[in-house]
Amino acid sequence: MVDEKDIAEETDPNRSPALASLLSLIVPGAGQLYLGERSRGLSFLGAAVILVGLLTWLDMSLLYIGLLPFWLWNAWDARQQAQGRQPSFVLGFVLIAVVVYAIGWQVTEISVLKLVEGVPRIQPVVASLLKPDVVTRDVEVMEAIHIFESPCSGSPPAVAQPKVDAPYLITEPTCADVDETITVRGGNFPPSRTGELWWENPIGQASRLRARGEFVNFETDAQGQFSQQIAVPDVVPESGQHGPQIHEIKPRVSTPVGSPHASETFWLVVRRVGETIAQALMATTLGILLAVPVSFFSARNLMAVNPVGTAVYYVTRTLLNILRSVEPLIMAIVFVVWVGLGPFAGVLALVAHSIAALGKLYSEAIESIDPGPIEAVSATGANRAQVVVYAVLPQVLPPFVAFSIYRWDINVRMSTILGFVGGGGIGFLLQQWIRLSDYNEAGTAIWAIAIVVTILDYASAQVRERIV
Amino acid sequence: MLEIQNLTKIYEDGTLALDDVSFTVEDGEFLVVIGLSGSGKSTLLRCINRLVEPTSGRVIWDGEDITAASQEELRKIRRQIGMIFQQFNLVKRSSVMTNVLSGRLGYVNPWLSLAHQFPREERERAMHNLELVGIAGKAQNRADELSGGQQQRVGIARALMQNPKLMLADEPVASLDPATSHSVLKYIEHLNRDQGVTVLCSLHFLSLARRYGTRIIALKAGQIVFDGLPEEIDDHRFKEIYGEEAVQVEVR
Repeated sequence: MVDEKDIAEETDPNRSPALASLLSLIVPGAGQLYLGERSRGLSFLGAAVILVGLLTWLDMSLLYIGLLPFWLWNAWDARQQAQGRQPSFVLGFVLIAVVVYAIGWQVTEISVLKLVEGVPRIQPVVASLLKPDVVTRDVEVMEAIHIFESPCSGSPPAVAQPKVDAPYLITEPTCADVDETITVRGGNFPPSRTGELWWENPIGQASRLRARGEFVNFETDAQGQFSQQIAVPDVVPESGQHGPQIHEIKPRVSTPVGSPHASETFWLVVRRVGETIAQALMATTLGILLAVPVSFFSARNLMAVNPVGTAVYYVTRTLLNILRSVEPLIMAIVFVVWVGLGPFAGVLALVAHSIAALGKLYSEAIESIDPGPIEAVSATGANRAQVVVYAVLPQVLPPFVAFSIYRWDINVRMSTILGFVGGGGIGFLLQQWIRLSDYNEAGTAIWAIAIVVTILDYASAQVRERIV
Repeated sequence: MLEIQNLTKIYEDGTLALDDVSFTVEDGEFLVVIGLSGSGKSTLLRCINRLVEPTSGRVIWDGEDITAASQEELRKIRRQIGMIFQQFNLVKRSSVMTNVLSGRLGYVNPWLSLAHQFPREERERAMHNLELVGIAGKAQNRADELSGGQQQRVGIARALMQNPKLMLADEPVASLDPATSHSVLKYIEHLNRDQGVTVLCSLHFLSLARRYGTRIIALKAGQIVFDGLPEEIDDHRFKEIYGEEAVQVEVR
């Protein structure tokens, strides 16, 4: 049959290879259409129109060059067709795919360079994430206060005397202009420690002293004394217009005291992780309770016994499919509007998705039961309830339990991100901390999520293995 | 006595599985039903205990019309008719004990049975029946841990729980190897000879039918084409039942 057609084409004087390939060169697919290859010609034409249209619309005129190989191949194909051969479509498909991938690369702005360039920016973030804020120690701060005048007036403060039993700071001189270097000497601090220097301006705003962008620290010697030269900072806006004013210099040494204990962040995270687990628990339980009846309505072997049942089956199946295709995150947005911010909205979103997913899995479990045992138990004279308990439940229960545990697993995972849209749980804290660049805290939350999900993953896998 | 009168079954898709079948089975017979796949053997057996509803005709057992029985009466009748299946039809995930006990569901208190509560004497009966078929040691195993032959013995033990007067066996050995086939059929033969249970058994192999049957019925396209003693089936009859191209295969 095929051979006859080929011969007919070869001997047909109206089918000129040159004309066919010329036509295809002008308009892709035209040569094929001329040869009567309708589906091939139309798909080439369609591909060319769509690709050219896309490139023009997206302003990627440079990629027209990428179309050239396909264009030439299509002309060659027309020539081959005219000579009665049927070249494989694979090469043309690959040539089209190359252009499609090039467009995709452009549209998604894939850039290896950015990946490399961004490394210095991400390093501190990753470092912070790896140092979660979990354990802390209480801190005892030892501070001295020294009065300093800037700029100098006619009568600068008197030179202070070292104190005997309390930390102290003395400056020489006791007044100076901005950027002038002064010497600060301190004593009675804890020995061999690093301290911070804080400067409080006349209206009470304190800031850590910096030199060339770096914080200025001091090191105490074995006697708890230090001496250091610092430049007077410019801490008063438009300082030139004001007269001499009194500033305070505060050296500070912080000492961790007491034993390490869990940080505030830690307890915050524990509380929210608990909320997340509770959300998953409630959502899974409610989801199971509602999915079981739904699954019976969407099991073909139970429902498709009469027209009404068949209709119910199709309606339920369709609703489940639609419901399942909506991401829980989007559902959460809807429920946040409905019931307000908080974990309840998250629970509702997860319940909706659980019903859809479990309803389908359960109904498939029901559909795949073996009718043999039902037949056998019925044949013994058992009543309907006995048949269900002895022949149906043993077949359906293990997959039901396995799917439910698996669902609980997924719900824990999903509830960790529902907080991003206001659905409660650990995600709320995580999102807040990321926005505030509190990466140590964010790290704590991420670690908590990872640990909880891993443990539940492992536990549910173990349980499922035992049951199935 | 079991009387089949003008039994016809037409399935929803229009298949004519049984076409006006009539015969009588005397108490204590070992009646073997033979015929090609699709000849109506399974449908015939299932119409007797109404796992399949006949389209027309009657099944009368000990003077009682099974085909006219209400659901409640049907349950009472089914209790006395044991059935074993080609695929054993055990609940694979349940224990052997539970599978055997399920054979007694028609007799015990239905409410207690829903909570898996069986009286002590029923459990003893189950153990006794498992001993009869030689697998008492497997009582607590899951049914799917057993070999095919062992599973079919569980199926027999389950049917024995009913104290059946009639045993329907739907190709009970078609999924088993020859040696196991004989051991399973010997249990059924033992029931028939020593306990007087009437047996209706469909089989693939004529050699097995000759060895165990006291009488043979052959079905072809839903009609009875032979009804007589095993030794009456000669080459001519054989070709009539199985078609011109068939060759006899021995199962030893």
